[in-house]
Amino acid sequence: MSSDNAGVGRSGGAPVPDDGARGGAVPGMPGEGVPDDGASVPDDGVPAVPVPDVPGLAHAAGMPDAPAPDEPAVELATVPALGGLYARGLAGSARAAATRRTTVRAGDLPDTHVVVRDVRPHADHLTAYQHLLGEPGADALPAGFVHVVAFPVATAVMVRPDFPLGLLGLVHVANRVEQRRAVRLGERLDIDAHARDLRAHRAGVTVEVVADVSVGGEHVWRGISTYLAKGVRLAGVRGGGHDVGVDAAATGSSAHNGRAPQNAGAPDLRAEWEPPLPTGRWALGGGVGRAYAAVSGDRNPIHMSALTAKAFGFPRAIAHGMYTASRALADIGPAARGEAFTWDVTFAKPVLLPSNVNVRVAREGDVWRYDAWDGRGRRHLTGSVTPPR
Amino acid sequence: MAAPRSTTGSTPTGGAPDSPGPAGTPATRRAVVVGGNRIPFARAGGAYTRATNLDMLTAALDGLVARFGLADERIGEVAAGAVLKHSRDFNLTREAVLGSALSPETPAYDLQQACATGLETVVGLSNKIRLGQIDSAVAGGVDSASDAPIVVSDPLRAVILDINRARTTGQKLKHITRIRPGHFTPSAPDTAEPRTGLSMGEHQALTTAAFAITREAQDELALASHHNLAAAYEAGFFDDLMTPYRGLTRDANLRADTSMEKLASLKPVFGKRLGAPATMTAGNSTPLTDGASTVLLASDDWAEQRGLRPLATVVDAEAGAVDFVHGRDGLLMAGVHAMPRLLARNGLTLQDFDFYEIHEAFAGTVLCNLAAWESEEYCRERLGLDRALGSIDRAKLNVHGSSLAAGHPFAATGGRIVASLAKALAAKGSGRGLISVCAAGGQGVVAILEAA
Repeated sequence: MSSDNAGVGRSGGAPVPDDGARGGAVPGMPGEGVPDDGASVPDDGVPAVPVPDVPGLAHAAGMPDAPAPDEPAVELATVPALGGLYARGLAGSARAAATRRTTVRAGDLPDTHVVVRDVRPHADHLTAYQHLLGEPGADALPAGFVHVVAFPVATAVMVRPDFPLGLLGLVHVANRVEQRRAVRLGERLDIDAHARDLRAHRAGVTVEVVADVSVGGEHVWRGISTYLAKGVRLAGVRGGGHDVGVDAAATGSSAHNGRAPQNAGAPDLRAEWEPPLPTGRWALGGGVGRAYAAVSGDRNPIHMSALTAKAFGFPRAIAHGMYTASRALADIGPAARGEAFTWDVTFAKPVLLPSNVNVRVAREGDVWRYDAWDGRGRRHLTGSVTPPR
Repeated sequence: MAAPRSTTGSTPTGGAPDSPGPAGTPATRRAVVVGGNRIPFARAGGAYTRATNLDMLTAALDGLVARFGLADERIGEVAAGAVLKHSRDFNLTREAVLGSALSPETPAYDLQQACATGLETVVGLSNKIRLGQIDSAVAGGVDSASDAPIVVSDPLRAVILDINRARTTGQKLKHITRIRPGHFTPSAPDTAEPRTGLSMGEHQALTTAAFAITREAQDELALASHHNLAAAYEAGFFDDLMTPYRGLTRDANLRADTSMEKLASLKPVFGKRLGAPATMTAGNSTPLTDGASTVLLASDDWAEQRGLRPLATVVDAEAGAVDFVHGRDGLLMAGVHAMPRLLARNGLTLQDFDFYEIHEAFAGTVLCNLAAWESEEYCRERLGLDRALGSIDRAKLNVHGSSLAAGHPFAATGGRIVASLAKALAAKGSGRGLISVCAAGGQGVVAILEAA
C-alpha cells in the first residue's frame, strides 16, 4: 500500500501546512474529563497534525452521492482546520450567550450533514498517534485515530450557525465507535457528520454528533460523540432527564426519568463502586494534553496548560477524554479486540494533569471492560469493547 | 521439532552426531556443562559503580579462560547479553571476546530475553552443540544497574537525526532552531512494564495478594537464601565458580547474620494500596545488582580431549509466556505454565528432581510458583491439567542460596544458576535438577539438567 502524497485532504490537494493544526487555539471545544500519558511525547516532538487549511463551506446541493436523499448536505473541499473552527465556535458561543438562549427545542437541530470526501490520512500522522497512544505501528488505523481524522468534520457541524448549542462549554460525556472493519492506511475516506437527538439531561441538554466513515461506498466506521450543554433546557421536558457522564458535568444528584440515549448503556457512574485490582497504571505527565493536542489537533485550552485551564474553571490542565479512552483501547490490544467491534466509553471525573491513573483492562466473557480511577477510588472513565453481534 | 528425550545414563556420548534419522531429522549428541565462572555480585552503586557491562563480562570471561586453560583457544561460539544495554554495546559479547584471552577468531552473538537471557544462552548454545554445529561454547550474561544507559528525549533525538540527514549547512541550522530546553531532560530506564506502567514489584504484589502469600513465608524464604548462600561460601562451594573482582570476593548483598527478627523489622515497599496486607520488603525482594557470569559448554569429545570432566548434561528446556497485561496471570508466572510441558515431554513429574533452582526475583515469586503447582484449581483451569503438579521437597530448593541473597544482575542470573546446579549435580554424582527463571514481559524459561 502506498502512502505517497498521502495527507489528510482532498486528493490532488497540496499537503497541509503544519501551521494548519497550530493556528489559534480558541476556547470553546467540547471539554472532557480524561487523562493521558504525557511523559513520552512532548508537544514539539510530535509532527504537526497535517490537518488542512480550511476553505469555506461549499454547498453541495444536488450532489449525486449525498449521504441521504432528504437531508441537506454541505460538502467541504478538505477537512477543515480546527483552529478556524474554534474561532467560529467561539463566535457562535458568544452569539448564543448574547441571546441568552437557555432553552432549545427538539426540532431546533438541523438535518444538515457536513461531508468531506477522499480524505487520506498521512503515514507520519498515524505513526505519531500510534507512538503516543501505545498502539502497534501497523498500517491498520486504530479506531481512535479514525476519530481524530473525523473530528474536524464533526466539529464543523457544531460551529454552523444553525447548530442550536454554543460550542463553548460543551462537555464530552460519552462516546461510542462502531467499527465494521479496520480502515487501512492508503484507503480514501469519505467522512459524513451530522448532529442528532437533542435530549434532556439532568444537568442540561445532550446532543449526539455522528461521524460516518465510508470507503468506496462501504460504511466502515461510525463514531457517536455525546456532548452535554450544561444549564440548557429542552423545551417541553420537565425535570429529570438522563444522566450519562453526569460526573463529568460535575452536577449533584439526579433522577433517571429521561429516555436513554444511544450511549446510555453505560453503567451508573455514581453508584457505589469498589475499585478492582488494577492491571496497570498510566503515569500521565503535565504535557499529556499538549501531546494529544499535537496529534489530534484538539487544542482546547483546558488541555494545554494549568494557566489556560484555570481560565475555564479547572485547577489544572485536564487530559482529553478520547486520549484516555484510546489508551484503554490500546491496552486491550489488536489481537484481543479484533478488527470489528463496538467501543464504548463514559467519562466521569476529569483527569487533572499530571496524575497517576489506576487502570483495569480485563475480559468478561466475550466483552472487554476497562475502568480508570484515581488514588481515592473515584472513576475517571469506564467502558467496553464488544464484538459484533 | 520435538526435543529429544533423554534418560540418565543412556544418552549417546559419541563425538559427532549420529547420522541423520530417517525423516531427515538430525540425530543429536549431548551437550554438557563443563564449568562456570562469575564475578561476585555487587549491590548497585557499590564496588562496580564505575565498571561497564563490557568490563564485567570480560572479567568473568577471562576468569573462565584462566580456570579451564582456554587462552588463545577458538571456542565454537560465545553468546551473552545484558538487559540494560547501551546502544554502543550492540556487539557486547563479541567485544568482550576481543578483549579477553580467547582467540580473536571466536565468534559471538548477543541475546536478550530479559532476566531469562543467561539461561536462554545456555539453551541455545547447548542445542547447537547437540546438533553438531559447534563443539564448545561459552554462555553468559551481565548487567549493571549502576552504569545504566541514559537516553536523550525523543524530540531531541528526532532533531539530531534530522541534522545528520541534512545536506546543507542551512538545513542543519534550520533543524538546530527546533531544539527546545525541555528536550534536554534525559530519561533513565526504569523497571516498569511498558504495557502496564507497573513495576515488577508492583506486579508481584498483585500476584502475592492473589495467592495470599504471607509476610512470614516470604521472610523465611529470604532467610533460607542468605543462610544457604553463606553456608556454601563457608564450604568453599564457590571457590571454583568465581573470580574476585574490584575488591569483592563474595556477593555484597549476602547477610549471613540476618534473622527473622531483622527481616520482620523492614517496612513493606510494594503493594501498599491493594487492600490486602502489604508483605513485600527490601528483605524479601532482590536489590538492583551489578555482575556477570559465564558457563562453559561442550560436547563430551571436546571436554575429553582437554582432560575436562563434564559436570552435568543440559537435557531440555521450555519457554513460556502469560497474558499479564489483562491480569489473566501474574507477570512472573510464566515458568508455572512452561513447566508441565517440559515435564510431559521428558516423561517426568515435578517430584522427580534432586535439586530445584527457582530464581528468587522476589520471595513471593517462588512461593506463588509453588502454590500454583500445588493448586488443583490452578492446574486444572489455567494449565489444563488433570490434577495438580503437586508440592516439592523444600529441602531441595535453592540449596546454595539464590537471588535474594546473591543479588540479581538480570542477565547474569541464569549463568549463576546453571553453573551452581551443574556443580551440585556433579558433587552428588547422580540425579536431576530443575531450573525456573521468570522474566519481564510475562516470560519464563524452565530447564532440566542431569548429572553427567
